[in-house]
Amino acid sequence: MTAAQIPMTAWLLFIAPVTAILIGFFVLRPLKPEWTHWPILISCAIVTLCAFSLTARVYSGRGSFDVNFWRWAAAGDWAIDFGLRIDGPGTAVLSMVALVGSLIHVYAAGYMEGDPGFSRFFLVFHLFFLAMIGLLTANNYVQLYLFWEMVGVASYLLIGFWLHKESARKAALKAFLTNRVGDFGFLLALLLILVNFHVAHFHLLYVVIGSQLAHGQIPSSLPLIGLLLIWAACAKSAQFPLYFWLPDAMEGPTPTSALMHAATMVTAGVFLLIRSWPLIAAVPYLPHLIAGIGAFTAVFAALLAATKRDLKRILAYSTVSHLGLMMLALGMGDITLAIFHLIVHGFFKAALFLCAGNIGHAVHKPTVDVDEVGGWAKALPATYVVFWICALSLAGIWPMAGFYSKDAIIDFAREGGGWIAWAAPLISFGSAFYIFRMLLLTFHGDRPEQNRLQKHPHEAGPMMVVPIAFLAVGAALVGWIAPALSRLVATGWIGLPVGLAGMTGVLNLPGNVSLPALSVRDMFSLGGGMAALGAASAYYLTMIDAGFDWRWRKAKPGTDAAFDADLGWKTLVAAFASGVAAFARVTGRVFDKGVWDGLIESGAEAFYDVSDGLATFAQGRLNDALWWMAAGALLILGMAIR
Amino acid sequence: MSLLTAMWTFPLAAAAFCLAAGRFGRSTARAAALAVSIVYFALSLWLLRPFVASAGQAVLVVSGRPLAFGVSYLLSADGLSAALIALTAFLNLLCVLASWKLDVSAGYWAAFQALAAALAGVFLARDLFFFYVFWEATLIPMFFIVGIWGSDNRRHAAVKFFLFTFAGSILMLLALIAAVVAHHGLTGVWTWDLKALLGTEFGAAAPWIFLGLVVGFGVKIPIVPLHTWLPDAHTEAPAAGSVMLAGVMLKMGLYGLIRVAFPLLPGITVAWAPYMALVAGVGTVYGALCAMAQTDLKRLIAYSSIAHLGFCLLGLVSLTAVGLAGGSLQMINHGITTGALFFLVGFLYERGHKRGLSDFGGLVKRAPVFSFFFGFAVFASIGLPGLNGFVGEFMCLSGIAISQAPIYAVVGCVGVTLAAAYLLPAYQSVFWAPEGPGSVSDHVDDLDAREKGILWTLCALMLWIGLAPHAWLQVLEPSIRGLVK
Repeated sequence: MTAAQIPMTAWLLFIAPVTAILIGFFVLRPLKPEWTHWPILISCAIVTLCAFSLTARVYSGRGSFDVNFWRWAAAGDWAIDFGLRIDGPGTAVLSMVALVGSLIHVYAAGYMEGDPGFSRFFLVFHLFFLAMIGLLTANNYVQLYLFWEMVGVASYLLIGFWLHKESARKAALKAFLTNRVGDFGFLLALLLILVNFHVAHFHLLYVVIGSQLAHGQIPSSLPLIGLLLIWAACAKSAQFPLYFWLPDAMEGPTPTSALMHAATMVTAGVFLLIRSWPLIAAVPYLPHLIAGIGAFTAVFAALLAATKRDLKRILAYSTVSHLGLMMLALGMGDITLAIFHLIVHGFFKAALFLCAGNIGHAVHKPTVDVDEVGGWAKALPATYVVFWICALSLAGIWPMAGFYSKDAIIDFAREGGGWIAWAAPLISFGSAFYIFRMLLLTFHGDRPEQNRLQKHPHEAGPMMVVPIAFLAVGAALVGWIAPALSRLVATGWIGLPVGLAGMTGVLNLPGNVSLPALSVRDMFSLGGGMAALGAASAYYLTMIDAGFDWRWRKAKPGTDAAFDADLGWKTLVAAFASGVAAFARVTGRVFDKGVWDGLIESGAEAFYDVSDGLATFAQGRLNDALWWMAAGALLILGMAIR
Repeated sequence: MSLLTAMWTFPLAAAAFCLAAGRFGRSTARAAALAVSIVYFALSLWLLRPFVASAGQAVLVVSGRPLAFGVSYLLSADGLSAALIALTAFLNLLCVLASWKLDVSAGYWAAFQALAAALAGVFLARDLFFFYVFWEATLIPMFFIVGIWGSDNRRHAAVKFFLFTFAGSILMLLALIAAVVAHHGLTGVWTWDLKALLGTEFGAAAPWIFLGLVVGFGVKIPIVPLHTWLPDAHTEAPAAGSVMLAGVMLKMGLYGLIRVAFPLLPGITVAWAPYMALVAGVGTVYGALCAMAQTDLKRLIAYSSIAHLGFCLLGLVSLTAVGLAGGSLQMINHGITTGALFFLVGFLYERGHKRGLSDFGGLVKRAPVFSFFFGFAVFASIGLPGLNGFVGEFMCLSGIAISQAPIYAVVGCVGVTLAAAYLLPAYQSVFWAPEGPGSVSDHVDDLDAREKGILWTLCALMLWIGLAPHAWLQVLEPSIRGLVK
């Protein structure tokens, strides 16, 4: 296939957003800023249609392609080409990102209405979306890195959107710098890939590595490259030890959080690992490492989510936990399962964030604590229903979509054995607990401790209700796409480039690209049971023993503070950051300016002093000159005599 | 008169023209400066044209009669020379535009034209004597630009700049003389012709010649222990002076390495490459750390130059096609990006007469266009992919990772990471954070049409090079092909 044969639908994925952003920036922003969202919403619709059309083509088995169309840079025998790769994993994630992202765009048009930064918000928001589309369709690491960084910049600008808030500025900086620390791993991995394999193109890389593996040797650089890529993914997908930027990132407007947590940012790390899977799977212990990181992060974040008060913060930790589950699935070698959970999570998490947005909207605050609201089931009926559906889905309760994806992971982990098998049910229990705690504290019951901000909350307008209703439908039903997804990923992944099919075994590609068949018997599975137990515990501690949350915080302020600092990890990170800053101050102010430059300048001054001193011998007085002449003559005379 | 000779005589005549125009008043001199710099930029594009058309394969040569002592008038242009001259002429034009509202005498405008003349001479000369003369000649206009039209501490900075770089040049001159003498000793021919000197076996003198050249060029780049003139000079110079200093004059050192030191002593170059890479790598991290500690915006950008030039040097000493081409491209990139940053800081200083990070705040509300451009340039400087800085950095790091141990790439990546850690907090505190006590943000109006035009041009170039660097690399790459190990 040549560049000319790339279908128009693929080009439109880029043409539509770029055009919309350009029109918005150059025409509407100066003239009619409150209309900035119109071209952008049209672009969303076009992108969604194109994404589904491409997905259908790939699904039919005829539409996968991987084509270069642009020589980006070259020198000597070094060259980087840009291209498009449309394949199963890419389109599977792309169609979710396009659909969920578009719904969030619609919601944002309602949520941000009247904000003085409306047009700035929409332009950056759409840039964020565009970056993710580019990331999912890149066909080589350099291009992926380009969009990866673009995602980072867009998120930076959105998290710091409310510039006047110090917390927002700090959170933006924290997010960007943490991601930058992760990018260090990506960039280095990219350089090592180029040094060792001379290609950055995914497909060619698979071929090169595959042929080396076929000769029974693992390239010696591969373990390090894999580790660095995992490091990069840990930053972007908020995994331990680099997860800490994500909970703070909720400082941005709520649609940003929804987009970031569901579709455009945090899934990028998981996707990077999916793209790199043949590299990682070639090194025996790397998948186990991924699974371990994922399992640990999932348990750790679920525990923390259960102790947080801010609605968006609870959801943020929940995202960290669910990303851990995706990593766990991936680490166990099941790409499709990871993608499946990524898609399902995208729907319910976007909806949950937007519900939190509606609650905030009702009290006119960007963020809300669980103490500040309560018993709002009647006041916000639509939000309440959506929240319920999504909470069930998140907790993994049949027949919601979350049940299928989560339970499959937990079953899979249990079969795998080891300590991960024990982590899985804990995650189930934990996630059901924190989401029902949040649900019950927000919408049910009546607690005297709750200091309600608003006596008469009201539901938001249709722009903010219709999108979440659609998302809730997704959160309830997308579980049924599992068989189709299996086929899509298998078609696109194995069938795509020439030679890959034969390489599957050699590359240690995941054996099960098809998801396990699900039956009703699974509803009584361990995961479901643990989830029910979690929900029941939450019910007990919020409805029956209604003041529990407030009581333990008062009784044990030390424990509360420890949870607040993420069991000390945040403190450590802050200490590291201030250590680097202090080192920089010492280098820049004390050493460079004081010691080194001081030495050089005092050297110059000493030189002046010496020449001043010497100048006393040469002040042009006749007497002096005569004396020197006499001395010189004597010297010459003396030498001549001897 | 050939085009190459015109490239340095025209701006020299233009300098005299500006001075003469000054007799009719300051604004006449200014208008004259604008006219000549437009013509000169057009000339430089004319010079660049054959290289673009032939993807850098063309070479233009002028060879005059031999003068005394083996000195002869030799000029030559290849893609690298032509690109650097185009950069000089381009920044020179923008400098005139950016200084439009300054109330300065004709000497100011003349100094910039004279500087362009000397710089063009450096980039064209292929006779080492002329090379040295042009090299030193660049100091004179810049000394006056800093010393007369600089800010409060200008005298000190100008003298420091002059003495520091002059000391470096003396070492370079000694090394050049040693090379010429050694060549005479071997062949009995006196020549300063670079081409004739290539391939000379310098024997035991070789390391000393190389050391002299590297230190001489290194002061200019500057490499790290020899850098302390830079923050003072860049900070005290007027905005346009900083732009020319950082945008073009720093590149003289790198250009000297590519054009003179490396080809003259290829053996030593290969042997010393790891040490030079170490110095460059340390420089990137050291410059970034120092930048993190600054509270003066202009000083911070000055230190960022040290870090960025470290990347260029890393690329060059990799002695690979990708590293050398990337390093050359990064020379252009740095000129554009840091040029933009210095212009913006200059505009800020013109309005508020302050440069401290805490002297401003909340500018995004008062001056949204200003903060857009500043942010754009900051991201280019950080090395955001899709903008120009990334291309150069990435190619330099690729080169060094291929030729030397990947540990140098690790050090370089640390530098890349730190870039965000000094530029973004500075950007936030000037543009995003609310005004603190003593803020002069009230005096900061948004950019006017002239200033917007300057920044649009620069930002468009950043985006262009970032997205489609291939065409640029094609112009530069043939120039460095001979150096590839």
